[in-house]
Amino acid sequence: MSSARTTFEMGLREYVRTPVLLALLVFLPAYFIAVFTRVMPEQTVPVAVAGETVPVGMKAVVAALMTPMAAALVGGIAGLFLMRSAREADTRLSIVGASVPELLAARGGVLTVAAVVASLVATAVMTVTYVPEHLEWFVAATVLAGLLYGSLGALVGLVFNRLAGVYVLMFGPLLDIFLAQNPLSTETHAVAPYLPGHYPTELAFDAAFTASVDPATLLWGIAYLVGVAALTGLAFRRALQVG
Amino acid sequence: MSDAPGTARPTVGANARRLEVGLAAALREFVREPVNLALLVVLPPLVVVSYGSIMSSFPRLPYMSGSPETLGAVAGTLFVAGFLPGVIGLFQVISARNADARLSLAGFPRATLFGARLLTVLAASLLTAGVSLAALATRTDVASLPAAFGVLVLVGVLYGLVGMLVGTVLPRELEGSLVLIFLADVDEALASGIVRTDAAFTKLFPLHYPHELFGAAVDGREFATSDAAAAGAYVVVLGVAALAAYATLTGEGGLR
Repeated sequence: MSSARTTFEMGLREYVRTPVLLALLVFLPAYFIAVFTRVMPEQTVPVAVAGETVPVGMKAVVAALMTPMAAALVGGIAGLFLMRSAREADTRLSIVGASVPELLAARGGVLTVAAVVASLVATAVMTVTYVPEHLEWFVAATVLAGLLYGSLGALVGLVFNRLAGVYVLMFGPLLDIFLAQNPLSTETHAVAPYLPGHYPTELAFDAAFTASVDPATLLWGIAYLVGVAALTGLAFRRALQVG
Repeated sequence: MSDAPGTARPTVGANARRLEVGLAAALREFVREPVNLALLVVLPPLVVVSYGSIMSSFPRLPYMSGSPETLGAVAGTLFVAGFLPGVIGLFQVISARNADARLSLAGFPRATLFGARLLTVLAASLLTAGVSLAALATRTDVASLPAAFGVLVLVGVLYGLVGMLVGTVLPRELEGSLVLIFLADVDEALASGIVRTDAAFTKLFPLHYPHELFGAAVDGREFATSDAAAAGAYVVVLGVAALAAYATLTGEGGLR
């Protein structure tokens, strides 16, 4: 696993040595949550959480919805460009003996770091407006959203091109998390349970507004992540063979 | 904005030919990737229909100006009409950065280079506006198609300029895309009318005034002069800022 560790460290060093990127990874999620919580009116809305309808402040609802979305946006873009920019290097590393699982572990590690940083920043800003009932579960939901969209971003980047990747990541999280999973809707849209934002959002709302959290939601989310990551792994292997 | 030193001032005819060459090269580069064309044709109807369909699950809340389904379709139309050209503007500038700097050194006027990039964005805006408006018209009545088309083209140019400006200031794909996506998603969510907001500063986002104009075109109302003036001023200010940043980038020493 020394190849994986070295590749991971080099990938991380590349991020650390790009101060503009680091600043954006911190600033953009903070800006995102701050703007949405600032503009929402002080009013209470009925929200369906864990099978019950409870009155919740609009600012808290939006904060709980937009925090996983911020992580999804950062994770998705990081995943897209991580795979694209490292493609040439990964092809060479593969030729000199690094295995596909080692390379995937290294790139996945960098992606996880980006998702965790974005999640922690977004959640920290969210706590200025509202502190979730179960902070640790909420962070887990946010990281899960970042990783799911990170894997999807990597997959789209490997299969199509950067333009397609950016389009998908521009429309995808907004359509999925902001609209399809929005608790203001009175009925669940038919496609909503199958979208990548479903389990992270459900977990985030349970963690934010209920006294207990069902771990099964996280497990389903992880299973979804494993499925997307497996597809990404296959696309990565194929890209290495072609490259 | 002076040209590279040691070059003769080109005539109007020479500039027009250069503009034509620049536009043709940029369009050819875009068209040669079939995925790009497919996205321009497939994505607008997909986004418009998806937004309308998903929003149909929402109740009609007191602050909403129409049925949630129509509101969603209208918001999706504006989103796709703006952000496809926005991403094209971003990558136009980023991928052509070195080539444009070399062309500038070789005597290609910077304003002409900028014009060629902007014309490509305009071409994408026209195509996206047409396709997305056609998709919207299948779901809801649009009272004034020409006015709605004009607003969508304006939105495309507006976000194309935003993309060009971001690409000039942040010339790496990762950083540029991050900024554009966060800006676009906040702008779209706030301008859409899907959530009620009570902060005046939301009017500073690029889509605010075009959204008002587009709503008027769809409903058959007259454009409010203040909305049209504000949207036009936004385009002019962005155009000047993008041109100034672009000229600096392609000027001497601005390559790296």
